[in-house]
Amino acid sequence: MVDKSKHASSFRDPSGYIYTEEGVIKRAIFPIYFKQYNALTTSGFFDSLFKNKLLIPHREIAKTETKIVIQPEHIPFITYPYEWSFNMYKEAALLTLKLQKYSLEKGFSLKDATAFNVTFHKGKAIFIDTLSFDFYQENTPWRAYKQFIAHFLGPLVMAHYHGAQSLKLMSNFIDGIPIKMLASMLPFKTKMNPFLYSNIHLLAKFEDKHNEDYKGESKASALSKKGQLNIIQSLYDYIKKLSLKEHSEWGNYYDKTNYTNDAFVQKSIIIDTWIENVKAKTLIDVGGNDGTFVRKINTNLQQALVCDIDNNAVDFNYKTIKENKESFITPFVLDVLNPSAAIGFQNKERDSFIGRMQDFAPDVTLALAVIHHMSLSGNVTFEMSAQFFASFSKHLIIEFPKRNDSWVQRLLNSKVDFKDHFDWYCLENFETAYCTYFEVIEKKSIANSERVMYLLKTKHVK
Amino acid sequence: MHFLYFDPGLGAMIVQAIVAAVAGVVLFSKGLMYKIKTLLGFSKKQEEELFEDIEIKDQDTDNKQ
Repeated sequence: MVDKSKHASSFRDPSGYIYTEEGVIKRAIFPIYFKQYNALTTSGFFDSLFKNKLLIPHREIAKTETKIVIQPEHIPFITYPYEWSFNMYKEAALLTLKLQKYSLEKGFSLKDATAFNVTFHKGKAIFIDTLSFDFYQENTPWRAYKQFIAHFLGPLVMAHYHGAQSLKLMSNFIDGIPIKMLASMLPFKTKMNPFLYSNIHLLAKFEDKHNEDYKGESKASALSKKGQLNIIQSLYDYIKKLSLKEHSEWGNYYDKTNYTNDAFVQKSIIIDTWIENVKAKTLIDVGGNDGTFVRKINTNLQQALVCDIDNNAVDFNYKTIKENKESFITPFVLDVLNPSAAIGFQNKERDSFIGRMQDFAPDVTLALAVIHHMSLSGNVTFEMSAQFFASFSKHLIIEFPKRNDSWVQRLLNSKVDFKDHFDWYCLENFETAYCTYFEVIEKKSIANSERVMYLLKTKHVK
Repeated sequence: MHFLYFDPGLGAMIVQAIVAAVAGVVLFSKGLMYKIKTLLGFSKKQEEELFEDIEIKDQDTDNKQ
């Protein structure tokens, strides 16, 4: 069956597939999965997970003898594992284990455990692959165990020993970090830890030993349900306690800025007023640190994406979201100079940052204290950054620090002999370049600072 | 029924028996240490935790609604 609207990543599991119909995501289920689907529905399993906000809710919209169609709740923006902060990643891992434990208790089992089965929605990790649940067969090991290690435990332990940057490895390894490589990259002392030794080093050895068994001579050993529950519980306990070795305290960023308190307040009032004036419901804050400015917006936003290059800032934001139980912010890690690419078969399974942004089409993009980094650290011209912002936003609120700003001076000085190359960095050139793509709605200088705020409207948008 | 659409790894299926045994010992000893500490009055007060327990309660939110 060839269905053009079928999602490019939905081809592995023969139970069904995801497709888009008039912009709405739907999921078709084949007869091969009817038995499971009916059992999960009638036993109240799905309902219980919906009520606990662990699985994306769906409703059945069609049921024939050959196909069942369900429509899951809409998620405005999908984030991928390589865009999560450390604690977001942890929550996704713990969610998967929670679901496996609950499944086992109810006679089911997760048939796969990829990190792409999880995303963030309304301030929480949520499982999005409704067809991942299968019947549990007594005394069988967990089929998705290796996948769980490659997708979750591996990246998290790597982040613990080598820093949160390790989580980005997932953008290269779409099916998780190879176990053998993982084992070789961990410090020797991890072999002394019974948990890490058995779950990673021993697993790598066993995989190595059996991967040339083409005749299928070795037999998978039996494993009691109690045994599997022990594995799940110990993975849960370990991951729950896992922390980063690097400084995990954020929160002092704004102490380091060159803003006086007055200028800071003034800036947030300007943003708040403009957001209200353009009646924004959705926005993205590119370089939004820990979400400070987004939280100062008084307009009711439906969805705010807050990204930053610093995993710790995103993590701090995420913890704040959890503490305040905020549901409208989705934080993620983004390097504006190298946003997530489209990956997978035909480069279509996981969409690029730009691709997802064009679908999301936010009412406003915030680019505060970002342009000097893009221009001076990244050597990106004004023309290029203007084109980038115009490619997905209807409005742009951008802050321009002038040449005399202390941060700009610091960045320029770090260029040493190359400093003269950046003579083009000035307000006039900025305005000329941005006016090609935007019209200026409002412009305001922030008193007692070297910074100017702009409210711009993308030209091709009516 | 299993849908064999990805390779679960034969080694990974076999090793789980050992992993489970190790996990059993670790969980048992931790539980034991916790009991001893509690008996001797060493148990620390639970800190405010970011993530909750593994348990999912059936129809958890019914009562609250």
